[in-house]
Amino acid sequence: MYIEVRGNRTYAATGGKDFDSNLPTVMFVHGSGLDHRSWALQTRWFAYNGYSVLAPDLPGHSLSAGDALQSIEEMGAWLADFIRAAGVGKVHAIGHSQGFLEVLELARQAPELLKSITGVGTAGAIPVNPALIEAARESAGAAAEMLLMWGFGSDAQYGISAVPGMQPIAIGRQIMARNPLHADLVACSEYRNGSEVAKTIEVPSQLILARKDRLTPFKAGMAFATELGANVTVIERYGHMLPIEAPRQTLQKLRELIGPLENVK
Amino acid sequence: MSRSSYLKPDTVALHTGYVPESDHGSRAVPVYQTTSYVFESVSEGSSLFNVEQGGHIYSRITNPTVAVLEQRIAALEGGSGAICTASGMSALFTIFITLCSAGDHIISATQIYGSTATLLKHTIKRLGIECSFVPVNDEQALRDAIQDNTKLVFCESIGNPGLEIADIPRIGAIAHESGIPLVVDATFATPCLNRPIDHGADVVVHSVTKWMGGHGVAIGGAIVDGGRFDWEKSGRFPELTEPYAPFHGMRFWEEFGPSALAMKMRAESMRDVGASMSPHNAFLILQGIETLSLRMKQHVSNAKTLLEWLQQQDSVTWTNYPDMESNPSHELAASLFPHGAGSMLCFGVVGGRIGGAAFMDSLELASNLANVGDARTLVLHPASTTHSRLTEADMRAAGISADMIRVSVGIEDVGDIKADFARGFKAAQRVAGAA
Repeated sequence: MYIEVRGNRTYAATGGKDFDSNLPTVMFVHGSGLDHRSWALQTRWFAYNGYSVLAPDLPGHSLSAGDALQSIEEMGAWLADFIRAAGVGKVHAIGHSQGFLEVLELARQAPELLKSITGVGTAGAIPVNPALIEAARESAGAAAEMLLMWGFGSDAQYGISAVPGMQPIAIGRQIMARNPLHADLVACSEYRNGSEVAKTIEVPSQLILARKDRLTPFKAGMAFATELGANVTVIERYGHMLPIEAPRQTLQKLRELIGPLENVK
Repeated sequence: MSRSSYLKPDTVALHTGYVPESDHGSRAVPVYQTTSYVFESVSEGSSLFNVEQGGHIYSRITNPTVAVLEQRIAALEGGSGAICTASGMSALFTIFITLCSAGDHIISATQIYGSTATLLKHTIKRLGIECSFVPVNDEQALRDAIQDNTKLVFCESIGNPGLEIADIPRIGAIAHESGIPLVVDATFATPCLNRPIDHGADVVVHSVTKWMGGHGVAIGGAIVDGGRFDWEKSGRFPELTEPYAPFHGMRFWEEFGPSALAMKMRAESMRDVGASMSPHNAFLILQGIETLSLRMKQHVSNAKTLLEWLQQQDSVTWTNYPDMESNPSHELAASLFPHGAGSMLCFGVVGGRIGGAAFMDSLELASNLANVGDARTLVLHPASTTHSRLTEADMRAAGISADMIRVSVGIEDVGDIKADFARGFKAAQRVAGAA
């Protein structure tokens, strides 16, 4: 569906069902250069099983209008405006990679909007190699190529796909090449509030980490989980792109955290 | 260009789409000879039907062995996904009816395979889809043919049987100016010699029966979604951007973006038309793809050597190979096909139609049959076989003459191919002399 946020036409996937703000709402936030499609194999399950789903494209990304936001702090504030514009009181917020930094910032700026937070393939800070940032400044496509070669684990590199016949790395490349990857990577790299925010989180929290993550190393994720006091799930043999590479395992862990909080199996 | 992994093409051809750990350690891709798949629970079955998760339901729509082939071909071509079909012709039919409805219009190059021409000119016309034919690289004719209801431009990267080289970058650019995708049949080239998506094509179609399989044992087709075309911005494709009633109002572009076309073909055409590839055929074609690049090198080498030899034979009245220097498409071929423009060549033989018949009937090594791309050398007389349903004018437009012999050069020792052809030329000279 499309809603108006700060005067811009903003797209949010609703998992294939009409959005109903009376149902418990789960919000999925995409990572650098990506869009709502990175959550395609989680959002539809929630939408068809008792929840309402919001998976927005951030400003300037894929189907959403507007200029790209320049910092994680701005993105967190935008998420708060987005939730209010959707007419929702509180959400379970799930973020992948950079998306989780945005969720942390949302928690700092508008904790009243949150029921729980979940980070997938992430950490409390995500430093980015300057060479990658420079590559993204020159060409989002070339940088996407580098990012995805590192971001996907071994099975995906061998062409394994959760959706028969598809090539997730090529799909990711096409999405990233059209989106403001450079702005996202700079914002990611400059974000420093993670540890401070971790001390203030009062809602249930969970991190789903990939053992073979080469973009946000597993050790960094584990260290942040300790700071956050979060439940941790480790998914073996997969890389950074967990929602796409290991969709079933990721969905199962999300269900296990959010289901009991809403009394939904 | 879209890469699907850090692996190089020769490795992709051997490995992509399958890891042994998932299937009892079987090193070869297993043949999943099954119609259907057990749901773990009612809930799981429901989630598969709702596209809440990926997986297999029924082999008309997806099959694990076929999926390996699809993922491998998509990776080789640099696409976002692929659909395999029962034949190359069903692949073409699938892409045409996915993008077109009654009242729509296609522009096709004139220089295409005879059955494709028949499909476009007669069969889909009965469904209310019109086709205009234009010479393959005639830019003005292409511009003039574009209508408000044009849904795709179609050409073959190497025309069959005239071997014309399509200027894919120019054709694609003109099509894109009007928000129209370019669909390229790349059967004669294979991704080893040319990847149309890298040059501006949006969809690639193959008869994998040919070089991709290479052994002449299985019929099959493939459609690769390039993933780059913006179906919404084009404004011509409500089929992909508006709600699709049979799938709970799904909007394929919103939902899947770069794989919207592939997902729509799967959800609609494979479900409703059911031109699916059998798992066993997928297995056989996978065996061929594993050695594709090795075979293509030998195919091209043999074709060039045979061409040079043919040009020295008194019985040969003319020759045609896309990147031979006297061919008008030489520069284009050298640019788009740096590793060789395939292994098809054509020539005329003394004695015209009867000389050609005598040549072909005396061959022992080369096989006279209606196929190309086998590892073995194949010959054919198009005017009396594959293109016999065309009128004389249509045949001329398609670049075919009565004396044309089409050769699909195999990977045998090229000395043996020459010896076989020499026998044929003696027979042709005899009948030509008698006449």
